[in-house]
Amino acid sequence: MKFFVVVVCCMAGMVSYGQSVKVSGEVLTPLTLTAADLMAMPRATATAKDKQGTPHDFSGVALSEIFAKAGVTTGKQLRGENLAKYLLVTCADNYQVVFSLAELDSSFTDRVVILADQVEGKPLPAGTGPFRLIVPGEKKPARNCFQVVSLSIRFAKD
Amino acid sequence: MFFFRYIFFIVAAGAIVSSGFAPSGGGASGPTQSGSAGSGPTPYPLKYPAYFGNRVNLREDNPLTVEGVALGRYLFYEKRLSRNNTVSCSGCHQQARAFTDGRAFSLGFDGVQTRRNSMSLTNLLWVRQFFWDGRVGSLEEQAVVPLTDAHEMGQTLEGSADKLRGDARYRRLFAAAFGGDSEGGQGGKVVTGERIVKALAQFERTLISSDARYDRYIRGDYQLTASERRGLDLFFGSAGCGRCHGGPKIFNETYHNNGLDRVFKDSGRAMVTKMAYDRGRFRSVTLRNVELTAPYMHDGRFGSLPEVIDHYNEHVEASNTLSPSLRDTAQRPIRLGLTAVEKKDLLAFLHTLTDSTFITDPRFSEPKF
Repeated sequence: MKFFVVVVCCMAGMVSYGQSVKVSGEVLTPLTLTAADLMAMPRATATAKDKQGTPHDFSGVALSEIFAKAGVTTGKQLRGENLAKYLLVTCADNYQVVFSLAELDSSFTDRVVILADQVEGKPLPAGTGPFRLIVPGEKKPARNCFQVVSLSIRFAKD
Repeated sequence: MFFFRYIFFIVAAGAIVSSGFAPSGGGASGPTQSGSAGSGPTPYPLKYPAYFGNRVNLREDNPLTVEGVALGRYLFYEKRLSRNNTVSCSGCHQQARAFTDGRAFSLGFDGVQTRRNSMSLTNLLWVRQFFWDGRVGSLEEQAVVPLTDAHEMGQTLEGSADKLRGDARYRRLFAAAFGGDSEGGQGGKVVTGERIVKALAQFERTLISSDARYDRYIRGDYQLTASERRGLDLFFGSAGCGRCHGGPKIFNETYHNNGLDRVFKDSGRAMVTKMAYDRGRFRSVTLRNVELTAPYMHDGRFGSLPEVIDHYNEHVEASNTLSPSLRDTAQRPIRLGLTAVEKKDLLAFLHTLTDSTFITDPRFSEPKF
Protein backbone atom coordinates (compact mmCIF):
# COMPACT_ATOMS: atom_id res chain seq x y z
CA MET A 1 0.00 0.00 0.00
CA LYS A 2 2.79 2.33 1.00
CA PHE A 3 4.60 1.44 -2.20
CA PHE A 4 1.47 2.11 -4.22
CA VAL A 5 1.08 5.56 -2.69
CA VAL A 6 4.69 6.40 -3.39
CA VAL A 7 4.38 5.29 -7.01
CA VAL A 8 1.20 7.30 -7.55
CA CYS A 9 2.80 10.39 -5.99
CA CYS A 10 5.86 10.02 -8.18
CA MET A 11 3.76 9.70 -11.30
CA ALA A 12 1.59 12.64 -10.32
CA GLY A 13 4.76 14.61 -9.71
CA MET A 14 6.05 13.78 -13.13
CA VAL A 15 2.86 14.77 -14.87
CA SER A 16 2.48 18.07 -13.06
CA TYR A 17 6.03 19.13 -13.82
CA GLY A 18 6.76 18.90 -17.34
CA GLN A 19 4.10 19.94 -19.69
CA SER A 20 5.51 23.32 -20.49
CA VAL A 21 7.71 25.08 -22.99
CA LYS A 22 10.56 27.28 -21.85
CA VAL A 23 11.18 30.48 -23.82
CA SER A 24 14.62 31.85 -23.09
CA GLY A 25 17.77 33.48 -24.42
CA GLU A 26 17.60 36.85 -26.18
CA VAL A 27 14.21 37.75 -24.69
CA LEU A 28 13.10 40.55 -22.39
CA THR A 29 10.83 38.23 -20.41
CA PRO A 30 11.72 34.55 -20.13
CA LEU A 31 8.57 32.45 -20.14
CA THR A 32 7.45 29.01 -19.10
CA LEU A 33 4.31 28.35 -21.09
CA THR A 34 1.85 25.73 -19.92
CA ALA A 35 -1.05 24.24 -21.83
CA ALA A 36 -3.38 26.71 -20.09
CA ASP A 37 -1.15 29.64 -21.06
CA LEU A 38 -1.30 28.62 -24.71
CA MET A 39 -5.09 28.24 -24.61
CA ALA A 40 -5.37 31.81 -23.25
CA MET A 41 -3.29 33.32 -26.05
CA PRO A 42 -4.52 34.31 -29.54
CA ARG A 43 -4.99 31.05 -31.44
CA ALA A 44 -3.81 30.14 -34.92
CA THR A 45 -4.15 27.16 -37.21
CA ALA A 46 -1.88 25.36 -39.65
CA THR A 47 -2.06 22.27 -41.77
CA ALA A 48 0.46 19.45 -42.05
CA LYS A 49 0.44 16.07 -43.72
CA ASP A 50 1.13 12.82 -41.89
CA LYS A 51 3.40 10.01 -43.12
CA GLN A 52 0.68 8.82 -45.48
CA GLY A 53 0.25 12.27 -46.98
CA THR A 54 -3.11 12.90 -45.31
CA PRO A 55 -3.51 16.55 -44.27
CA HIS A 56 -4.48 17.37 -40.68
CA ASP A 57 -5.58 20.66 -39.12
CA PHE A 58 -3.50 21.72 -36.16
CA SER A 59 -4.19 24.57 -33.81
CA GLY A 60 -2.04 26.38 -31.32
CA VAL A 61 -0.25 29.68 -31.01
CA ALA A 62 1.82 31.41 -33.67
CA LEU A 63 5.47 31.67 -32.72
CA SER A 64 5.21 35.39 -33.46
CA GLU A 65 2.66 35.72 -30.62
CA ILE A 66 4.99 33.88 -28.27
CA PHE A 67 7.83 36.14 -29.37
CA ALA A 68 5.72 39.24 -28.73
CA LYS A 69 4.90 38.02 -25.22
CA ALA A 70 8.55 37.21 -24.47
CA GLY A 71 9.92 40.44 -25.97
CA VAL A 72 11.83 39.06 -28.92
CA THR A 73 12.99 41.50 -31.62
CA THR A 74 10.34 41.24 -34.34
CA GLY A 75 8.84 43.47 -37.06
CA LYS A 76 10.55 46.85 -37.22
CA GLN A 77 13.11 45.73 -34.67
CA LEU A 78 14.19 42.85 -36.86
CA ARG A 79 16.99 44.67 -38.63
CA GLY A 80 20.73 45.20 -38.31
CA GLU A 81 22.40 42.81 -35.94
CA ASN A 82 19.05 41.32 -34.94
CA LEU A 83 19.00 39.59 -38.31
CA ALA A 84 21.82 37.43 -36.95
CA LYS A 85 19.48 35.97 -34.35
CA TYR A 86 18.05 32.49 -34.57
CA LEU A 87 15.57 30.30 -32.78
CA LEU A 88 16.86 26.96 -31.45
CA VAL A 89 13.99 24.55 -30.85
CA THR A 90 14.73 21.63 -28.52
CA CYS A 91 12.45 18.62 -28.14
CA ALA A 92 12.12 16.09 -25.35
CA ASP A 93 14.24 13.56 -27.24
CA ASN A 94 16.92 16.26 -27.62
CA TYR A 95 16.21 16.67 -31.32
CA GLN A 96 17.01 20.24 -32.29
CA VAL A 97 16.20 22.48 -35.25
CA VAL A 98 16.85 26.15 -35.94
CA PHE A 99 15.10 28.99 -37.75
CA SER A 100 16.48 32.43 -38.43
CA LEU A 101 14.16 34.98 -36.86
CA ALA A 102 13.44 36.42 -40.30
CA GLU A 103 11.96 33.07 -41.36
CA LEU A 104 9.31 33.48 -38.68
CA ASP A 105 8.53 37.15 -38.96
CA SER A 106 5.37 38.52 -40.59
CA SER A 107 7.30 41.46 -42.08
CA PHE A 108 9.36 38.91 -44.05
CA THR A 109 6.94 36.09 -44.77
CA ASP A 110 3.26 35.24 -44.78
CA ARG A 111 3.95 31.75 -43.49
CA VAL A 112 2.74 31.29 -39.92
CA VAL A 113 4.63 28.70 -37.89
CA ILE A 114 2.70 27.56 -34.84
CA LEU A 115 3.37 25.79 -31.59
CA ALA A 116 0.49 23.35 -31.83
CA ASP A 117 -1.30 21.75 -28.90
CA GLN A 118 -4.29 20.29 -30.78
CA VAL A 119 -4.97 18.31 -33.92
CA GLU A 120 -8.51 18.18 -35.32
CA GLY A 121 -9.63 19.84 -32.08
CA LYS A 122 -8.12 17.19 -29.82
CA PRO A 123 -4.93 17.07 -27.75
CA LEU A 124 -1.94 15.76 -29.67
CA PRO A 125 -1.37 12.01 -29.45
CA ALA A 126 1.18 10.52 -27.07
CA GLY A 127 4.63 10.68 -28.53
CA THR A 128 4.12 13.94 -30.38
CA GLY A 129 2.49 16.14 -27.74
CA PRO A 130 1.68 17.99 -25.70
CA PHE A 131 3.35 20.61 -27.91
CA ARG A 132 4.79 20.33 -31.38
CA LEU A 133 5.84 22.68 -34.11
CA ILE A 134 3.93 22.93 -37.37
CA VAL A 135 5.79 24.60 -40.22
CA PRO A 136 3.45 24.92 -43.20
CA GLY A 137 4.67 24.55 -46.73
CA GLU A 138 7.93 22.69 -46.22
CA LYS A 139 8.76 19.77 -48.52
CA LYS A 140 10.22 17.77 -45.64
CA PRO A 141 8.46 17.59 -42.30
CA ALA A 142 11.72 17.51 -40.36
CA ARG A 143 11.07 20.80 -38.57
CA ASN A 144 7.54 19.82 -37.53
CA CYS A 145 9.19 18.52 -34.41
CA PHE A 146 7.50 16.67 -31.57
CA GLN A 147 7.32 17.32 -27.85
CA VAL A 148 8.87 20.76 -27.92
CA VAL A 149 10.36 21.67 -24.54
CA SER A 150 12.38 24.78 -25.28
CA LEU A 151 12.43 27.78 -27.60
CA SER A 152 15.73 29.55 -27.21
CA ILE A 153 16.53 32.79 -29.05
CA ARG A 154 20.24 33.21 -29.68
CA PHE A 155 22.73 35.34 -31.50
CA ALA A 156 25.01 33.81 -34.11
CA LYS A 157 28.28 34.85 -32.58
CA ASP A 158 30.93 34.02 -35.16
CA MET B 1 33.01 14.27 -57.06
CA PHE B 2 31.37 13.34 -53.77
CA PHE B 3 34.55 11.70 -52.56
CA PHE B 4 36.90 14.42 -53.74
CA ARG B 5 34.99 16.94 -51.69
CA TYR B 6 35.51 14.92 -48.53
CA ILE B 7 39.19 14.38 -49.18
CA PHE B 8 39.64 18.11 -49.47
CA PHE B 9 37.88 18.75 -46.18
CA ILE B 10 39.95 16.19 -44.35
CA VAL B 11 43.21 17.72 -45.48
CA ALA B 12 41.95 21.18 -44.64
CA ALA B 13 40.83 20.11 -41.19
CA GLY B 14 44.14 18.47 -40.47
CA ALA B 15 46.00 21.58 -41.49
CA ILE B 16 43.81 23.86 -39.44
CA VAL B 17 43.76 21.77 -36.30
CA SER B 18 47.46 21.02 -36.24
CA SER B 19 48.28 24.67 -36.60
CA GLY B 20 46.74 25.23 -33.20
CA PHE B 21 43.33 26.50 -34.22
CA ALA B 22 40.44 24.92 -32.44
CA PRO B 23 37.09 24.72 -34.11
CA SER B 24 34.48 26.52 -32.10
CA GLY B 25 31.63 24.23 -31.23
CA GLY B 26 28.03 24.68 -30.23
CA GLY B 27 27.24 25.94 -26.79
CA ALA B 28 28.48 28.88 -24.86
CA SER B 29 32.12 27.95 -24.62
CA GLY B 30 34.32 28.84 -27.52
CA PRO B 31 37.76 27.75 -28.66
CA THR B 32 39.94 26.47 -25.90
CA GLN B 33 43.21 25.60 -27.52
CA SER B 34 44.85 28.90 -26.78
CA GLY B 35 48.51 28.44 -27.40
CA SER B 36 51.05 28.79 -24.66
CA ALA B 37 53.89 30.77 -26.07
CA GLY B 38 57.07 29.70 -24.38
CA SER B 39 56.62 27.60 -21.24
CA GLY B 40 53.69 25.58 -19.99
CA PRO B 41 51.88 22.65 -21.46
CA THR B 42 51.66 22.18 -25.23
CA PRO B 43 48.27 22.39 -26.94
CA TYR B 44 47.14 18.91 -28.01
CA PRO B 45 46.76 18.64 -31.79
CA LEU B 46 43.25 17.28 -32.23
CA LYS B 47 42.72 15.58 -35.58
CA TYR B 48 39.44 14.41 -36.97
CA PRO B 49 37.73 14.28 -40.33
CA ALA B 50 35.91 17.40 -41.49
CA TYR B 51 32.81 15.29 -42.10
CA PHE B 52 32.43 14.85 -38.31
CA GLY B 53 31.75 18.57 -38.04
CA ASN B 54 32.90 20.92 -35.33
CA ARG B 55 30.06 20.76 -32.86
CA VAL B 56 32.56 19.67 -30.25
CA ASN B 57 32.25 19.77 -26.48
CA LEU B 58 35.46 21.42 -25.33
CA ARG B 59 35.76 23.29 -22.04
CA GLU B 60 37.30 26.70 -21.71
CA ASP B 61 38.54 25.86 -18.21
CA ASN B 62 40.19 22.63 -19.32
CA PRO B 63 42.02 23.06 -22.63
CA LEU B 64 43.47 19.91 -24.14
CA THR B 65 47.23 19.69 -23.74
CA VAL B 66 49.73 17.00 -24.61
CA GLU B 67 50.72 16.77 -20.94
CA GLY B 68 47.15 16.75 -19.67
CA VAL B 69 46.14 13.98 -22.07
CA ALA B 70 49.23 11.97 -21.12
CA LEU B 71 48.36 12.28 -17.43
CA GLY B 72 44.76 11.36 -18.15
CA ARG B 73 45.91 8.21 -19.87
CA TYR B 74 47.89 7.13 -16.79
CA LEU B 75 44.92 7.90 -14.58
CA PHE B 76 42.52 5.99 -16.84
CA TYR B 77 44.53 2.85 -16.15
CA GLU B 78 45.26 3.64 -12.47
CA LYS B 79 43.77 1.17 -10.01
CA ARG B 80 44.65 3.32 -7.03
CA LEU B 81 41.70 5.49 -7.99
CA SER B 82 39.52 2.79 -6.44
CA ARG B 83 39.04 2.24 -2.75
CA ASN B 84 40.82 -1.13 -2.58
CA ASN B 85 43.18 -0.49 -5.53
CA THR B 86 41.56 -3.17 -7.70
CA VAL B 87 39.57 -1.26 -10.31
CA SER B 88 40.53 1.40 -12.85
CA CYS B 89 38.38 3.12 -15.47
CA SER B 90 39.84 0.66 -17.95
CA GLY B 91 38.28 -2.26 -16.09
CA CYS B 92 34.83 -1.42 -17.43
CA HIS B 93 36.15 0.43 -20.51
CA GLN B 94 38.59 -1.90 -22.29
CA GLN B 95 40.19 -0.65 -25.47
CA ALA B 96 39.91 -3.98 -27.30
CA ARG B 97 36.12 -3.82 -26.81
CA ALA B 98 35.87 -0.19 -27.92
CA PHE B 99 36.04 0.72 -24.24
CA THR B 100 33.27 -1.52 -22.97
CA ASP B 101 33.63 -4.66 -20.85
CA GLY B 102 31.52 -7.38 -22.42
CA ARG B 103 29.21 -7.60 -19.41
CA ALA B 104 25.54 -6.72 -19.08
CA PHE B 105 26.38 -4.91 -15.84
CA SER B 106 29.86 -4.08 -14.66
CA LEU B 107 31.40 -5.00 -11.34
CA GLY B 108 32.62 -2.31 -8.98
CA PHE B 109 35.54 -2.56 -6.55
CA ASP B 110 33.34 -4.46 -4.09
CA GLY B 111 31.92 -6.86 -6.66
CA VAL B 112 28.52 -5.17 -6.70
CA GLN B 113 26.94 -4.76 -10.13
CA THR B 114 26.32 -1.37 -11.71
CA ARG B 115 22.77 -0.37 -12.58
CA ARG B 116 23.39 0.01 -16.30
CA ASN B 117 25.58 -1.32 -19.09
CA SER B 118 29.05 0.16 -19.45
CA MET B 119 29.06 2.67 -22.32
CA SER B 120 31.50 2.69 -25.20
CA LEU B 121 33.95 5.60 -25.06
CA THR B 122 34.10 6.66 -28.67
CA ASN B 123 34.02 10.12 -30.19
CA LEU B 124 33.05 11.67 -26.87
CA LEU B 125 34.30 15.00 -28.18
CA TRP B 126 30.93 15.33 -29.93
CA VAL B 127 28.83 14.23 -26.95
CA ARG B 128 27.21 16.99 -24.95
CA GLN B 129 25.23 14.97 -22.42
CA PHE B 130 26.60 11.90 -20.72
CA PHE B 131 25.32 8.59 -19.33
CA TRP B 132 22.41 6.56 -20.65
CA ASP B 133 20.08 9.28 -19.38
CA GLY B 134 22.14 12.35 -20.32
CA ARG B 135 22.28 13.62 -16.78
CA VAL B 136 25.52 15.65 -16.96
CA GLY B 137 26.93 18.03 -19.53
CA SER B 138 30.68 17.40 -19.41
CA LEU B 139 33.18 14.59 -19.16
CA GLU B 140 34.56 16.29 -16.07
CA GLU B 141 31.22 15.89 -14.30
CA GLN B 142 30.81 12.41 -15.73
CA ALA B 143 34.13 11.15 -14.38
CA VAL B 144 33.26 12.10 -10.82
CA VAL B 145 30.35 9.66 -10.76
CA PRO B 146 32.11 6.29 -11.24
CA LEU B 147 35.13 7.51 -9.27
CA THR B 148 33.11 8.33 -6.18
CA ASP B 149 30.12 5.99 -6.51
CA ALA B 150 29.87 3.79 -3.42
CA HIS B 151 29.97 0.60 -5.48
CA GLU B 152 31.99 1.51 -8.57
CA MET B 153 35.37 2.88 -7.49
CA GLY B 154 34.20 3.97 -4.06
CA GLN B 155 36.68 6.70 -3.23
CA THR B 156 36.42 10.45 -2.76
CA LEU B 157 38.38 12.63 -5.17
CA GLU B 158 40.41 13.87 -2.22
CA GLY B 159 41.11 10.27 -1.21
CA SER B 160 42.38 9.54 -4.71
CA ALA B 161 44.54 12.68 -4.72
CA ASP B 162 46.01 11.71 -1.32
CA LYS B 163 47.06 8.31 -2.67
CA LEU B 164 48.70 9.69 -5.81
CA ARG B 165 50.39 12.58 -4.02
CA GLY B 166 52.84 10.17 -2.46
CA ASP B 167 54.06 9.07 -5.89
CA ALA B 168 56.76 11.38 -7.27
CA ARG B 169 56.01 10.27 -10.83
CA TYR B 170 52.44 11.52 -10.52
CA ARG B 171 53.57 14.75 -8.88
CA ARG B 172 55.72 15.39 -11.93
CA LEU B 173 52.95 14.47 -14.37
CA PHE B 174 50.44 16.74 -12.62
CA ALA B 175 52.91 19.62 -12.50
CA ALA B 176 53.67 19.23 -16.21
CA ALA B 177 49.99 19.17 -17.09
CA PHE B 178 48.60 21.85 -14.81
CA GLY B 179 51.56 23.74 -13.33
CA GLY B 180 52.99 23.94 -9.82
CA ASP B 181 56.15 22.67 -8.23
CA SER B 182 56.18 18.90 -7.89
CA GLU B 183 59.06 18.87 -5.41
CA GLY B 184 58.57 22.12 -3.52
CA GLY B 185 56.35 20.94 -0.73
CA GLN B 186 53.29 21.81 -2.78
CA GLY B 187 52.18 18.25 -3.29
CA GLY B 188 48.72 19.19 -2.11
CA LYS B 189 48.35 21.89 -4.72
CA VAL B 190 49.85 19.90 -7.57
CA VAL B 191 47.82 16.72 -7.18
CA THR B 192 44.14 17.51 -6.65
CA GLY B 193 40.84 15.81 -7.22
CA GLU B 194 39.80 18.49 -9.67
CA ARG B 195 42.93 17.91 -11.74
CA ILE B 196 42.37 14.15 -11.73
CA VAL B 197 38.96 14.70 -13.25
CA LYS B 198 40.21 17.27 -15.74
CA ALA B 199 43.02 15.04 -16.97
CA LEU B 200 40.69 12.06 -17.38
CA ALA B 201 38.30 14.23 -19.39
CA GLN B 202 41.15 15.42 -21.61
CA PHE B 203 42.26 11.89 -22.36
CA GLU B 204 38.72 10.78 -23.10
CA ARG B 205 38.23 13.63 -25.56
CA THR B 206 41.06 12.22 -27.66
CA LEU B 207 39.37 8.82 -28.10
CA ILE B 208 38.42 9.48 -31.70
CA SER B 209 37.38 6.65 -33.98
CA SER B 210 37.50 7.64 -37.65
CA ASP B 211 39.19 4.80 -39.50
CA ALA B 212 36.50 2.15 -39.83
CA ARG B 213 35.83 0.65 -43.27
CA TYR B 214 32.85 2.97 -43.34
CA ASP B 215 35.18 5.98 -42.98
CA ARG B 216 37.39 4.66 -45.73
CA TYR B 217 34.29 4.30 -47.87
CA ILE B 218 33.34 7.92 -47.17
CA ARG B 219 36.85 8.99 -48.08
CA GLY B 220 36.73 6.97 -51.28
CA ASP B 221 39.41 4.48 -50.17
CA TYR B 222 37.17 1.45 -49.80
CA GLN B 223 34.49 -0.08 -51.99
CA LEU B 224 31.60 -1.59 -50.07
CA THR B 225 30.71 -5.19 -50.92
CA ALA B 226 27.30 -5.70 -52.49
CA SER B 227 25.93 -6.89 -49.15
CA GLU B 228 27.43 -3.95 -47.21
CA ARG B 229 26.02 -1.56 -49.79
CA ARG B 230 22.53 -3.03 -49.48
CA GLY B 231 22.94 -2.86 -45.71
CA LEU B 232 23.89 0.81 -45.91
CA ASP B 233 20.83 1.52 -48.04
CA LEU B 234 18.62 -0.23 -45.50
CA PHE B 235 20.31 1.51 -42.56
CA PHE B 236 19.88 5.01 -43.94
CA GLY B 237 16.77 4.19 -45.94
CA SER B 238 13.79 1.93 -45.39
CA ALA B 239 14.89 0.36 -42.10
CA GLY B 240 15.17 3.87 -40.68
CA CYS B 241 18.14 3.15 -38.37
CA GLY B 242 19.83 6.35 -39.48
CA ARG B 243 17.02 8.45 -38.06
CA CYS B 244 18.44 7.94 -34.59
CA HIS B 245 21.95 6.75 -35.45
CA GLY B 246 22.53 9.05 -38.38
CA GLY B 247 25.32 10.96 -40.02
CA PRO B 248 28.95 9.95 -40.53
CA LYS B 249 29.44 9.71 -36.77
CA ILE B 250 26.58 7.19 -36.68
CA PHE B 251 25.36 9.18 -33.73
CA ASN B 252 22.64 11.72 -33.06
CA GLU B 253 22.42 12.83 -29.49
CA THR B 254 18.81 11.93 -28.87
CA TYR B 255 16.81 9.89 -26.38
CA HIS B 256 14.23 7.32 -27.33
CA ASN B 257 12.09 4.57 -25.95
CA ASN B 258 12.95 1.93 -28.51
CA GLY B 259 10.21 -0.46 -27.53
CA LEU B 260 12.13 -2.83 -25.28
CA ASP B 261 9.37 -3.13 -22.68
CA ARG B 262 5.75 -2.39 -21.97
CA VAL B 263 6.52 -1.85 -18.30
CA PHE B 264 9.77 -0.15 -17.38
CA LYS B 265 12.07 -1.55 -14.73
CA ASP B 266 14.32 1.43 -15.29
CA SER B 267 12.54 4.68 -16.05
CA GLY B 268 15.61 6.06 -17.84
CA ARG B 269 15.66 9.72 -18.77
CA ALA B 270 12.56 10.42 -16.71
CA MET B 271 14.76 10.13 -13.63
CA VAL B 272 16.60 13.21 -14.88
CA THR B 273 13.78 15.29 -16.34
CA LYS B 274 10.93 14.14 -14.03
CA MET B 275 8.77 14.08 -17.14
CA ALA B 276 6.24 11.30 -17.64
CA TYR B 277 6.90 11.21 -21.37
CA ASP B 278 10.55 10.41 -20.76
CA ARG B 279 9.84 7.14 -19.00
CA GLY B 280 11.68 4.27 -20.62
CA ARG B 281 13.66 6.65 -22.78
CA PHE B 282 17.43 6.21 -23.12
CA ARG B 283 20.26 7.64 -25.16
CA SER B 284 20.49 6.38 -28.71
CA VAL B 285 24.15 5.45 -28.65
CA THR B 286 26.80 5.67 -31.31
CA LEU B 287 26.98 2.51 -33.38
CA ARG B 288 30.65 2.94 -34.14
CA ASN B 289 32.42 -0.28 -33.22
CA VAL B 290 29.06 -1.80 -32.35
CA GLU B 291 30.39 -5.23 -33.34
CA LEU B 292 32.69 -5.01 -30.31
CA THR B 293 30.37 -3.61 -27.67
CA ALA B 294 28.03 -6.51 -26.84
CA PRO B 295 25.91 -7.00 -24.86
CA TYR B 296 23.52 -4.31 -26.02
CA MET B 297 20.98 -1.84 -24.58
CA HIS B 298 21.08 -0.04 -21.23
CA ASP B 299 20.66 -3.34 -19.43
CA GLY B 300 22.74 -5.49 -21.73
CA ARG B 301 19.76 -7.70 -22.51
CA PHE B 302 20.82 -8.64 -26.05
CA GLY B 303 23.97 -10.70 -26.38
CA SER B 304 24.47 -10.28 -30.12
CA LEU B 305 23.73 -7.94 -32.99
CA PRO B 306 21.36 -10.41 -34.70
CA GLU B 307 19.28 -10.29 -31.50
CA VAL B 308 19.22 -6.49 -31.71
CA ILE B 309 18.14 -6.60 -35.34
CA ASP B 310 15.47 -9.15 -34.42
CA HIS B 311 14.19 -6.74 -31.77
CA TYR B 312 13.63 -3.96 -34.30
CA ASN B 313 12.37 -6.42 -36.84
CA GLU B 314 9.85 -8.29 -34.77
CA HIS B 315 9.62 -7.36 -31.12
CA VAL B 316 9.14 -3.61 -30.65
CA GLU B 317 6.69 -3.25 -27.76
CA ALA B 318 3.93 -0.66 -27.54
CA SER B 319 3.82 1.82 -24.69
CA ASN B 320 2.78 5.42 -24.07
CA THR B 321 6.30 6.68 -24.53
CA LEU B 322 7.38 4.57 -27.50
CA SER B 323 9.38 6.74 -29.89
CA PRO B 324 7.25 8.23 -32.69
CA SER B 325 9.95 6.98 -35.06
CA LEU B 326 8.90 3.46 -34.13
CA ARG B 327 5.15 4.00 -34.53
CA ASP B 328 3.01 3.90 -37.62
CA THR B 329 0.25 6.46 -38.25
CA ALA B 330 -2.19 4.32 -36.27
CA GLN B 331 0.26 4.59 -33.35
CA ARG B 332 1.12 0.87 -33.54
CA PRO B 333 4.72 -0.28 -33.10
CA ILE B 334 6.56 -0.52 -36.38
CA ARG B 335 8.10 -3.89 -37.07
CA LEU B 336 10.59 -3.77 -39.91
CA GLY B 337 9.73 -7.05 -41.58
CA LEU B 338 13.21 -7.59 -42.99
CA THR B 339 14.00 -10.82 -44.80
CA ALA B 340 16.82 -13.10 -43.68
CA VAL B 341 19.03 -11.73 -46.46
CA GLU B 342 18.25 -8.14 -45.51
CA LYS B 343 19.14 -8.86 -41.90
CA LYS B 344 22.48 -10.24 -43.05
CA ASP B 345 23.05 -7.17 -45.21
CA LEU B 346 22.31 -4.87 -42.30
CA LEU B 347 24.73 -6.83 -40.14
CA ALA B 348 27.38 -6.60 -42.86
CA PHE B 349 26.97 -2.82 -42.86
CA LEU B 350 27.20 -2.65 -39.06
CA HIS B 351 30.47 -4.54 -39.29
CA THR B 352 31.90 -1.81 -41.52
CA LEU B 353 31.70 0.46 -38.47
CA THR B 354 34.42 -1.52 -36.68
CA ASP B 355 37.59 0.52 -36.38
CA SER B 356 40.54 -1.76 -35.72
CA THR B 357 42.92 1.21 -35.80
CA PHE B 358 41.03 2.70 -32.85
CA ILE B 359 41.08 -0.42 -30.71
CA THR B 360 44.80 -0.98 -31.26
CA ASP B 361 45.91 2.65 -31.20
CA PRO B 362 48.94 2.77 -28.87
CA ARG B 363 47.99 6.29 -27.77
CA PHE B 364 44.99 4.82 -25.96
CA SER B 365 46.59 1.71 -24.45
CA GLU B 366 47.89 1.22 -20.92
CA PRO B 367 51.00 3.36 -20.48
CA LYS B 368 54.13 2.17 -18.72
CA PHE B 369 55.83 4.40 -16.22
